[in-house]
Amino acid sequence: MTDGPNPSFEQLERELQYYRREYNEIGARLLRAQEEQSRVAREARRSRTVARLVREAYQIIDQDIPAETIGPLMLATIADTAVCDCAALLLVDPAAPERFLVQHAFGTTTPTLLTLPDPPDHLYTAGRTPPVAAAAPMIDLLGVPFILWAYDPATGRALLLGNRTESNIHRAFEAGDRELVDVSLAVYNDLLVRKRAEIALREAKQAAEDANAVRARFLATLSHEFRSPLEAVIGFSELLLQTGRQTPGPEQKDEFARQILDSGHRLLALVKDILDFSRFNNTVPYLRRDWLSLGVLLRNAVRSFAAEAASREIRIDVAVPEPPIEVSIDYERFRQILANLIGNALKFTPAGGVITVGGIASAGDGASITVSDTGIGIAPQDLPRTLEPFVQVYDPAGPRVSGAGLGLPIAKQLVEAHNATLAIRSAPGAGTSVIITLPASDVRCGGRQSEPARG
Amino acid sequence: MTATISTGYAAGIDVAATVARCREQLPGPADLILAFVGGKHDPEAALAALRASFGDIPLAGGSAAGAIAGGGTGVGTGGFGYSGLEIGIIAFSGPDVTPKILTNRDLLESEEAAGQALGRAVRAQAAPGSAVLILFDSVAASAPLRLHPASRIMAGFHAALDGLPLHVIGGGLLTDINLSDGWMFDGHAIAKHAMTALVFPPGLHAATAILHGCRPVSSFFEITRVEGAEVLELDGQPALTVIERTLGLELGTTSGQQLSLVATLGQKQGDPFAPFDENNYVNRLILQADPARGSITLFEPDFTIGTRVQIMSRDNALMLESVTQGIADLEAGLHGACAFGLYIDCAGRASVMTGAETEEADLVLRTLKPGFPFIGFYSGVEIAPFAGDYSRPLDWTGVLTVFQRTA
Repeated sequence: MTDGPNPSFEQLERELQYYRREYNEIGARLLRAQEEQSRVAREARRSRTVARLVREAYQIIDQDIPAETIGPLMLATIADTAVCDCAALLLVDPAAPERFLVQHAFGTTTPTLLTLPDPPDHLYTAGRTPPVAAAAPMIDLLGVPFILWAYDPATGRALLLGNRTESNIHRAFEAGDRELVDVSLAVYNDLLVRKRAEIALREAKQAAEDANAVRARFLATLSHEFRSPLEAVIGFSELLLQTGRQTPGPEQKDEFARQILDSGHRLLALVKDILDFSRFNNTVPYLRRDWLSLGVLLRNAVRSFAAEAASREIRIDVAVPEPPIEVSIDYERFRQILANLIGNALKFTPAGGVITVGGIASAGDGASITVSDTGIGIAPQDLPRTLEPFVQVYDPAGPRVSGAGLGLPIAKQLVEAHNATLAIRSAPGAGTSVIITLPASDVRCGGRQSEPARG
Repeated sequence: MTATISTGYAAGIDVAATVARCREQLPGPADLILAFVGGKHDPEAALAALRASFGDIPLAGGSAAGAIAGGGTGVGTGGFGYSGLEIGIIAFSGPDVTPKILTNRDLLESEEAAGQALGRAVRAQAAPGSAVLILFDSVAASAPLRLHPASRIMAGFHAALDGLPLHVIGGGLLTDINLSDGWMFDGHAIAKHAMTALVFPPGLHAATAILHGCRPVSSFFEITRVEGAEVLELDGQPALTVIERTLGLELGTTSGQQLSLVATLGQKQGDPFAPFDENNYVNRLILQADPARGSITLFEPDFTIGTRVQIMSRDNALMLESVTQGIADLEAGLHGACAFGLYIDCAGRASVMTGAETEEADLVLRTLKPGFPFIGFYSGVEIAPFAGDYSRPLDWTGVLTVFQRTA
């Protein structure tokens, strides 16, 4: 209040106006200061948001999850930290570079395709900025007017965030948001690379361990399989070279030479198997397919084992398909497959046993070839191992059976090269059946049953 | 039968998994659950998940812009968030603590009539002094945005109570802070334009603190023209012009010019020239600014011609001070252990909006340190007993209520 005599009404009114004006001015300044403080705090919050997003996103890498689940987890992290209404992770379509495929989405169920002939690295829409043509398909994709986009040409991946409004909880998108969306996309790409590298590393480690196991089995098996025929070659050669009273007679020389020849053949077959397995392990075998009678194939395969089976008192039956069918196969490779399977059956079938080699058109218009025996069979726990290389599954109480353990693995490699499958059914004492199933596309009706097609 | 109250809180994209995580925090079966479901979750999927976890029991609550929960040994997982993926649940078991759910689905026809109908139903069920929680669907229409005014609901509700003294608190349910939508659990199903009253047994009594955070930044203006919630003139001039000229900035700077939280209008209760006390103000958020009409539309239509208002600024420091002071005052009035607590927090108080360094909800949790089941949600409008009088709808407040067993 002013000093001096009582102020007049006009003076009081003027003074009141003054205080009111100053109060309003100070109040307005206070409000603007509050707004400015809030703006600065929001900027700081944006930096914290980016830091939090990075921190939380990298926690995903510690989870034991497949790479495909990183996308949804990353979107959830983005939604939580960036507080957006919807988001999508996209990848350039390898078949059409102007198209992006939505890989993961959150908060939207709209189209899964974005056509963008010239995708920008960064883009946003806001109420106070002029519309950008490239934003239209993004707006259509998410079904919201406000979008924030980042694209990494190096990986072909893009991240699109969207808001229904740009007031209240959502600020209007602005240039400063580039850091948020760029970092999010970079972190996602990094997580994918890391996770894939981790998975590849794990697979490589497993492969190395498997290879080590194979190598160990290789050494253990082949040291025996090579040594026996080599010892025979050396031993009988030394006998042949003996002189004086030790000189072998003509009949002995013939016998020793036969033994050396037999051992040489065994060594050659072993080396051939190893080379085949090694080659097929690295490259799919080249196939020269022909349409051939399945009946002829089976008969020819069995014929070459007739003498050995007879000598071991094992009967081999052939069941050819009726009516006749033809299969599209590489004859020599399939002879090799059947030779391995019939040879295995002979090894594990005792005298008096029966081996059946049969073919039949199956329900799905494909065909199956089965080699069954009445041999010792395989325990359930050993079944998976029968297809591993250099593994011989045998009855420890029975006689040892020679072989490198490559017959079934090679047969499986060759069967799969034909787009066919190989399955084993067996039980101890109940024999073993190996079933090859050919796809319908490689089977047709017709053909002759009796004449060999080739070879 | 043993009475138990427990809470669960979780957040995640998969609603079934999120509900299941909440369920894991609850010790046993429940007679009724009150669930606040983040607005990004599909309501039908949320209902199915709740049914799968809790069975066919009465279900209240609905969408929420976010959820808040206390934590600690035996009281569930604590946390808060407003991403729209949060779910907060409080479960009641036993007749001594389980409220009755009363429902009205006629908000769209007339908010006041619906309030009256619900008030009559409550009057028939509630003992004098009972605590009543009112929840309602905030959003009447989204294009153009129109809210169900809580002031009309409460006018009808109080008229029907006919003087029955109750401790009424409440909140408007939203799917998100943008006021995009809202939905309710009406006891058994999902409902739109509905409201529920949870009438607590007489064995529970409630104490409430209203946490504020706005201060006046102008002298008084008189509303000289108003149509419902749309204030057209202050002191005989276009209201928007008066406010923008006074503040030296534009209100409607965002697209659509919706929901400016830069300023509010406040009505001071009691002596207008008494020293500032935040508890004397009823604030009204500005829903829309219309430059063509020179008007602003408030959240509520309860200001009339002749109402003297001040332009109010939210004040982050004041908001946080109000939390600590309000909780201290509340605790000073408590005697004995709390059965549970409920926090109805205006979504606009989230720091993503205010820019406050400290999350207000976090400060509430840290200051209150609830060793009892505590659940909250981010709301559109808050309802609380005001200035010792009947309950009024409030804006930009936090309504903190603790329930205790009656001695």
